[in-house]
Amino acid sequence: MAPAAGDDETEPRFSVGEWVRVLEVEPTGNPRTPNYVRGQVGQVTASHGVVDNPLDHRDPYPPLYTVVFEAGKVFDRRSTDLVSVDLHEEWLERAAPAWHQEG
Amino acid sequence: VTSGHHEPHMKDVEAHVAAVESDLEYFRTKRLEPRVFVLVRRGVLSFDDLLRAAADVPRLTVEKEQPEGEARIRALEERLDSFIRDVACVSLTQLASGRIVIDDVRKERGDYDPYLRIAKRAHEGPLEQRIEQLERQLADSAHLVKVLRHALLATGEVTKERLDDQRRAVEGQGHRNGARIVARAWVDPQFKRRLITTGREAVRELGIPPGRLGRLGVAENTDDFHHVVVCTLCSCYPHDLLGNPPWWYRSDEYKQRIVEDPRGTLRDMFGLDLPLDQQVMVHDSTSDVRWMVLPKRPPGTDGMSEEQLAQLITAESLVGTAEALTPSRSPGRSS
Repeated sequence: MAPAAGDDETEPRFSVGEWVRVLEVEPTGNPRTPNYVRGQVGQVTASHGVVDNPLDHRDPYPPLYTVVFEAGKVFDRRSTDLVSVDLHEEWLERAAPAWHQEG
Repeated sequence: VTSGHHEPHMKDVEAHVAAVESDLEYFRTKRLEPRVFVLVRRGVLSFDDLLRAAADVPRLTVEKEQPEGEARIRALEERLDSFIRDVACVSLTQLASGRIVIDDVRKERGDYDPYLRIAKRAHEGPLEQRIEQLERQLADSAHLVKVLRHALLATGEVTKERLDDQRRAVEGQGHRNGARIVARAWVDPQFKRRLITTGREAVRELGIPPGRLGRLGVAENTDDFHHVVVCTLCSCYPHDLLGNPPWWYRSDEYKQRIVEDPRGTLRDMFGLDLPLDQQVMVHDSTSDVRWMVLPKRPPGTDGMSEEQLAQLITAESLVGTAEALTPSRSPGRSS
């Protein structure tokens, strides 16, 4: 999915409180997205901006967010627990709030 | 029901054995053997150097008389811990010949090319047999790391002093820094705020180097929230800052269970039964944001000094699989 309009790739597209869906298709680039959240909808709880990683020898990553998911929904079980995952923007698209999803 | 801070996760012996198996295989195939290959490939050491060193290094045999039951598993875990420390001690990137960089090992162990990955061994059969097999395999790998160390010394690639320095650095990496950070946050709300907002920058105030492994995420436990940390993709942890996580942090068992059923896993694996009105949140760490838990300050600690408070903080409590100790349960350290 191409980034939205605005050519500054370091400018975060999402803000805290917004709902996002994790893409299921693997984008080229950073593979650090756990399988279990692919396709899931969560809420952005923190925006970390562009994080450079001294251990990898790649170009700077797109902005990074903390996104919180409901464990019960993700794993299809009765649970009120939450799972928080840090995800890069290239993996995310805007979504309707989780309570509008059929789940 | 909680027992002493080392005991709670001994409920499922098979899970402990499985964790040691996967941990040993991880350190053997990702940290130790690829390093040997890189050194040979770069001409730093030859196979002959290693064979000569092997002849000089006595081989520890597996003792016939092993402790029984849980004690035997604990002995295995301790040997694994000591093996992991030994591997860290020989993982030096600056050698006399200057012919090795960190990235070589990443390539060699197959991070970028699955063809290069070293095969992991299968562990099958009855538990007793798996334990015996593990004891032998641990002895083998422990021997290899000692041989490597000896060969590096014998060829002049490292000095004894350099290795001693490295060992001091590795062993100083306990969770003591993490404990100091938490203790300060308990007594100084301003520091706590700086820690949560600026992360690594704040720890400079304690004379602790902030390290450089990604952002530090700080998840504060309260009456309403209990946080717990995992890294399902690998085993990311702010270990440059807090020291190594407990050994099971790298086990597949923990990774899978804690994320699928956080509350149930805390109860079943760690004996931590949380009140239902406390929401449980798991943080799946990545190398970009590495999470630590700021445990709740236990009751009955008013008036305790920062140093005394630091004694209450265990490596488990920094991951969130245990609460901080209460004063009566802290290791009795006579002053």
